Amino acid sequence: MTYLRHAHIMSGPLTAALVAALIVLPLLAGNYLTYLTIQILILSLFALGFNLLFGYTGLLSFGQAGFYAVGAYICAKILLVQPSLLLGVLGGTVAAAVVAVLLGALSVRHTRIYFSMLTLAFGMMIYSVAWKWRDVTGGDDGLVGIPRAPLKILGIASISLSTIEHYYYFVLVVVLLGVFFMYRLVNSPFGLSLQAIRDGETRAPFVGMSVTTHRLLAFTIAGLYAGLAGALLPPLENTVTPVMAHWTTSADPILATLLGGIYVFSGPIVGGALFIIIKDLIVRVTVHWSIVLGTVVIILVMGFRGGVAGIVAGMVARPRAAPAPAVASK
Amino acid sequence: MDTIGYQGLIGVSLAMSLWLISAGLTIIFGVLGVINFAHGSLFMVGAYMAYTFYGLLGFPFGLSVLLSLAVAAVLGLIMERGFLRHLYHLDHAYQLLLTFGFVLVLDDAVKIIWGGVFKIPPIPRFLDGAWPVFGRPFPVYNTFLIAIGILVGIGLWALFEKTWWGRVVRATASDREMANAIGVNVPWVFSTVFVVGAMLAALGGALGTPIRVAAPGIGAAMIIQAFIITVIGGLGSLKGAFTGSLIVGILSAYGTLFFPIFELFFSFVIMTVVLLVRPQGLFAHVN
Amino acid sequence: MRTWISSATVMLILLALIVPPASVGQTACQLNVPTLKLGVQGIASGAHADYGRQINMGATLAIEEINAAGGILGCKLEMRFMDDENKPATGVKNARFLVNEWGAHFLYGTDSSGIAMALGPVLQELKRIQFFTHAATHRLTEELVYDKKIKEIVRVSAPVYQDAIAAWVFKDNPEIKRWATIGADYEYGYATWAIFKDVMKKSRPDAEFVGAAWAPFLTLDFSSQIAAVMATNPDAIIATPWAGEAVTLLRQALLMGVFDKVQAWFQAMGGSVDVLEGISREVQDNRFKGKLWATARYIHNWPNTQINRSFVERFQKRWSRLPNYSAETTYSAIYITKLALEKAKSLDTDSVLAALNGMRIPTPAGLRVYRSEDHQFVYNVPAGRVVWDAKYPIPVLGDLVVIPANEYWRSPPFTAVPVGK
Repeated sequence: MTYLRHAHIMSGPLTAALVAALIVLPLLAGNYLTYLTIQILILSLFALGFNLLFGYTGLLSFGQAGFYAVGAYICAKILLVQPSLLLGVLGGTVAAAVVAVLLGALSVRHTRIYFSMLTLAFGMMIYSVAWKWRDVTGGDDGLVGIPRAPLKILGIASISLSTIEHYYYFVLVVVLLGVFFMYRLVNSPFGLSLQAIRDGETRAPFVGMSVTTHRLLAFTIAGLYAGLAGALLPPLENTVTPVMAHWTTSADPILATLLGGIYVFSGPIVGGALFIIIKDLIVRVTVHWSIVLGTVVIILVMGFRGGVAGIVAGMVARPRAAPAPAVASK
Repeated sequence: MDTIGYQGLIGVSLAMSLWLISAGLTIIFGVLGVINFAHGSLFMVGAYMAYTFYGLLGFPFGLSVLLSLAVAAVLGLIMERGFLRHLYHLDHAYQLLLTFGFVLVLDDAVKIIWGGVFKIPPIPRFLDGAWPVFGRPFPVYNTFLIAIGILVGIGLWALFEKTWWGRVVRATASDREMANAIGVNVPWVFSTVFVVGAMLAALGGALGTPIRVAAPGIGAAMIIQAFIITVIGGLGSLKGAFTGSLIVGILSAYGTLFFPIFELFFSFVIMTVVLLVRPQGLFAHVN
Repeated sequence: MRTWISSATVMLILLALIVPPASVGQTACQLNVPTLKLGVQGIASGAHADYGRQINMGATLAIEEINAAGGILGCKLEMRFMDDENKPATGVKNARFLVNEWGAHFLYGTDSSGIAMALGPVLQELKRIQFFTHAATHRLTEELVYDKKIKEIVRVSAPVYQDAIAAWVFKDNPEIKRWATIGADYEYGYATWAIFKDVMKKSRPDAEFVGAAWAPFLTLDFSSQIAAVMATNPDAIIATPWAGEAVTLLRQALLMGVFDKVQAWFQAMGGSVDVLEGISREVQDNRFKGKLWATARYIHNWPNTQINRSFVERFQKRWSRLPNYSAETTYSAIYITKLALEKAKSLDTDSVLAALNGMRIPTPAGLRVYRSEDHQFVYNVPAGRVVWDAKYPIPVLGDLVVIPANEYWRSPPFTAVPVGK
């Protein structure tokens, strides 16, 4: 029942305090810290979706950046034509989910390394399309001049989000909703079935669906979250470029999740924050960020596979003497 | 007609440098069940070592290549014994991530040691020049690559089929526990296989230095192509890696000639189709 | 009691040492800032790490010199360099860090066109001028400055237009008619080929463009591209891969006997120091048969002026390397800032831009003239034959062809470049 440990970290006062801190953050912090927090929120959302597939379903995707990029490019395309933030973000998210259903139908029949390789190939196909379909995507220069469009609600209200602070609150609301839905999802019968499939349990409560359908649904939701995270970027950065779809971008949510902890709900969120903060601190000191990050990854894989949130959860749960989860070897 | 023939031959030489790097990748997967992201970094280390021994210290080219292989062997041994060994009981995801960590470390390490400027040794005299093939000059170097590729192919076949070590490795690959039960030292087999794979990667890098540059990041450029080939041929299959290299090498040469726009896209399409239709690849397992 | 007082005194003295005196040092700076902060970025990791390194070296040298001579309007300069990893997202994040967190007053550098395009709108938001010193895409100044009026973009380095000088170099060679390209398979390579063809057609209506092969970023083996292009029997080839890829391409072309067949090979950024270093042996042995031509965004052996000779000498003394173009452009960009600030006497963007208007400044690369319509500094960079000159440790460009940049650079009003393969 390791997956229930999130109850200890995410529950009650701590969550409320965290949300409160996030709400007042732009009032106290500078422009850059607000920007960095947006990056953290986006990566957390991205990683949260990824971990539904990885931690909960046991499928390691190396192509999540593909959906991330689909979300970003479609959102950018919409905003360039119709400057409505909601429309752009929704459009990007839906497009990513559609692509995820299609590619997921092909991918989820395979598991283990074949699944990883197939998703890598799909992600890189999206990357090559973004690079080569220059009339639509702008080639390697990407799409530029994407507006941070106002939030129009059914023609009633139009809220300007042109400052970083305003945009921060939009992202915060979207991400909190995303976290909430994911939390409900993994604790639903569906979420429990996914974990049962991961652990190879045959007597799992399958709520009347096949293993493949479960995996496809998880894949689609992960793709949707990636797309949503991606769609939040173009209004922030005003640009999208093909590198968003590259496999090295797929490595970001993987590293973040690993850092935070795979079998803890809050792992990807904690990891997303740590990943961005660690890198931001490293590059302030040295241009050799890669060797430091690599060393951190090696140390984590060798000795701290539970991740930071996993360790904390373990400490909180210690009175119950629950053993640390051995990662399933399949 | 000559144009087609010449371009095809260029494709074969491309295929042979792809083969050298995918051979090691597929052997390691076939026996250890590990996809080694750092394989490209070992390729890069091979290139830098060949540059150091041959270009910087002035050793003969052949000796420099051998010394590069020795360095890669030591590095491979450290990676396997010191790190990878402790993760075999875990999900393959952790092995991938560990080797990804190696990529990050090695890429920066070569920059710290050799600096950011790419390194170029001179072209060895015996590899210089060209001879006429299909009425056009075909480089000695590309011919040499083709010869080495075939020799390595024959050598690996002999190693796996004709030697005691090869039999032990194949036995381990097909049934780890059975091999263990009949007294095979499985951890030792794993180490030797990883070392052989590392040396093959370094061989690819070292043999490339006469014309390529050694630069940080060349491993990353190579590894994805090696993945594609290994998947097309069948993960763990040497015959498959050889055929996959030929397919990708020749197609990319003709792609440059006829459909320059689709080159990058094509390799991923082939990989995807193979994975979907025949996930075990064109050829079955190494055994 | 006495001990208490004395220890309190000691504490106060220590405190006074820690807290910097409020106004000393500031009074000297007429811009009313403690120091003038310059944020610099470029590629410092991966295969093209040397370009960022050169930007860093050029900036450092300029700042050390200016500080030694008393700073700008009495303000000391402070610099911070960051690796943009050749990724737009990192470049944007760096810019935000440098301005919002570190407090940069001006930004410099950026190698990649993709990052430059991404930075444009962000600079507008950050309200800071960036002096671009390598990114070459014509879109940066034509689209973002000229069309979209992003005033915070100023480019000190020569854009992709420079590569079209090839059309002028071979204008009077009737035997060179059939052209082919081995192009970088991204916007830079496409733009060069398009602009080159455009300029060529005007001066030589008989020119034919017979073949094109494209090499993706980080190509390790160019033999299939070379074979494909040589199958079209070109008289001359224009090639755009740069840095280490240029060296690989040229050495492979040698092995494939290309220089026995073609009349000329124009390596667009072949005048870059790292490329010249890379083909040193082959040039010394005359393997290219005098057919290899190149240009760059600055070459260290031209112009033969006091300011350039002294720059090269100081650079070599400081770094034990010859300056690459990205070093010179960044170095000059900081001197341009100095001149503009001395005129504007304010850090306000509009005042600085107004001070740039009409600026003509002697720099190591020659006289740079500011073009206010697209915020582009115009200056001449020659093309030349890659030759060995015993005076230098590496090959240089000789038989220089100097053509006024205005003859072949695009100029406003701009019409779209028909960029395509």
